[in-house]
Amino acid sequence: MHPDEQMAVAAKFILQSPPGEINDVLNDVRNIISDDELLQEGVQPALRQYNLEQFVVVDIPEHDHQVIISDVGRVEGEQDRFRDPQAKLTFHFDHLRLEASDVQAYEPDEDTEPFRSALEKATLAYIGDHFPGGVSTVHTITASKYAIQIVANKYNPSNFWSGRWRSEYIVDISEGKVQSKILINVHYFEQGNVQLSTTFTPVFDLPPAAVSSQNASSASKIIALIEARESEHQEAMIQTYFDMSEKTFKGLRRALPIMRQKLDWDKVTGYKLGAELAGTRGAFGN
Amino acid sequence: MGDLLDSMLDLMRRLPPINVEDNVNSLISICPDYADDLLGSVDQPLKLKTDRATGKDYLACDYNRDGDSYRSPWSNEYDPPLEDGTVPSSKLRKLEIAANEAFDTYREMLSRFLSTIYVPLIISEAVLKPKEPSQPTGSWDSIHVFETSERGRQAHYKLTSTIMLNIIATKDAVGEVNLSGSMTRQHEQDGTLTDPTSHVSNIGRMIEDMEIKMRNLLQEVYFGKTRDVVHDLRSIESLERERKQREMQRELMGLMKR
Repeated sequence: MHPDEQMAVAAKFILQSPPGEINDVLNDVRNIISDDELLQEGVQPALRQYNLEQFVVVDIPEHDHQVIISDVGRVEGEQDRFRDPQAKLTFHFDHLRLEASDVQAYEPDEDTEPFRSALEKATLAYIGDHFPGGVSTVHTITASKYAIQIVANKYNPSNFWSGRWRSEYIVDISEGKVQSKILINVHYFEQGNVQLSTTFTPVFDLPPAAVSSQNASSASKIIALIEARESEHQEAMIQTYFDMSEKTFKGLRRALPIMRQKLDWDKVTGYKLGAELAGTRGAFGN
Repeated sequence: MGDLLDSMLDLMRRLPPINVEDNVNSLISICPDYADDLLGSVDQPLKLKTDRATGKDYLACDYNRDGDSYRSPWSNEYDPPLEDGTVPSSKLRKLEIAANEAFDTYREMLSRFLSTIYVPLIISEAVLKPKEPSQPTGSWDSIHVFETSERGRQAHYKLTSTIMLNIIATKDAVGEVNLSGSMTRQHEQDGTLTDPTSHVSNIGRMIEDMEIKMRNLLQEVYFGKTRDVVHDLRSIESLERERKQREMQRELMGLMKR
C-alpha cells in the first residue's frame, strides 16, 4: 500500500477518537503503521484537525484559565498560532503535546472588545452554573459577529467511560440570528464498546434588545437565551432516552416470551427432533 | 505479530461501533495478511441473505463464510456456489437442522427476529427495524458462539455472547442521536446428555438465560450509564442553587444539633 494511502487511513482512525482516548488511538495506529518516520511526518494534519474539531483546551502559561483551540481562534495567516481573547494573548500551539508556547500580547479591536468582554463575562457565569469542569472562549469574528464556544470533558477510565459536550454559538448582530451547534459524545467501554453521538444545529433569533444595542445587559440576554436553549435540548434528550428505551428497545426484543415465562426447551426440541437426531451423540467428535 | 492484532482489536474497541464495517475494511487494506484474524475476531452487523433453493432467509456472518461465499443452513449450499466449500459432518448437520428448528420457535416467542444457526453451534439473530417513522429505529444482532466437549453423559459448554444494539433517533428538539455499540460476555456450564436432543435444549436454556442477563445489562448501560454521563457533563439544575441548598441544609443541621 502506498504511504499516502496508509496515512489517509491513519488520519481517518485518529479523527474518530473518542473523548480522552486520542493517545490510545495514536498508540494503536503507531503499531499498525509500524513506520514512525512516516507517521511523524504525516500525522500532523490529522492531529490539527482533531484538536480544532474537538475543542481541545490548553493551559495558558502564568494564567489560571484555559482556552479552547478552534478555527475561529486562529490568528489570520498563521497555522498554529491561536488567540486567548480573555488574557489578550496569542500563542503557538503544539498539537501533539497540547502545550502553548511563545506567548505574545496583542491589542484587541477597540470597537468590539467591550461587547465581546461582556459576552465572555456572562458565558463564564453561565458555565460555572451548569458545567462542572466546563471551559469557554468568546471570540470576535467580525465587527458584528461573535463566537461563543463551550466544552466540557469528563474522563473516567477506571470506571470505563468518557464524555464530551461541545457547543458553539455564532452570534450575528447584523442578521439578528444565532447559528448554533451542540454535540455530545459518550463512550462506555467495560467489556464492550457503546457510544452516544448527537448533533443538534438549530438557528434562532436574537432578542430585539441585543440587535439594537450591544452592552452588558444585551449580552446577559443572549446568554440567558443560550442557557434556556441548552436546557430545553437536555430535556428533549431525556425524552429521547425514554423513547429509545421504552419504545424501540422493548419493541426489538421482549424481556420474556409472549407467554410471560421462560421457554420449555424440552418441549421445543420435541419428538420429531428426537427421531431425527437419533445417533447424533458424540457429534462434536470427542 | 500478536501485538499487531492486539493493537487492531484495541482500536476497534475504541472507534465508533457504527463505523465498524468501514474501519475493519480499512485495517484489512493496510494489513491484508490479517483479514481472516480480523473478520474472525471483530463482530460485525449481520447481513440478510436468501437461500436460492428454499427461498428462506438466513444470516451471513464469519461462521458460515468460506472465501467470499456464505453457506445456507437450510439447503447446506454455498452462495455464490463453491465446489469444495467446507460443510459439517452428517452428524453435525443433523444437529444444525434440529437447532435451527428449535431456535425458530424461540425467536417467534420473542420478536420479529430472524435467527440462523451454524455448526459448530453459532447462533445469530438480527432484528428487522420497526416501521413507524416517528419512533427511533433500532437493530439488535446477537451472536452466540459455543465450544462444547463431551465426556460420557456430561457435556461442558463455553458460551461467548455478543450483542450489537444500534438505535438512531431524529427529532426537531434533539437533532440526530445515535446510540450504538456492542457488549460481550462469557459463561461456562455443564449439562447432562440424556437423549439426542440434549445439546439443543441445554444450549437453548443457556442462551435464554444469557440473553435475559444481557438484555438487562444493555438496558442499564445504554439508557442508564450513557445518559448519566450526559448529565455529568451538563447539569440542568443550577449548580449555584444546589451549592446554596447544601449550605442551607448544613446550617439547619447545625441548628438542630444545638
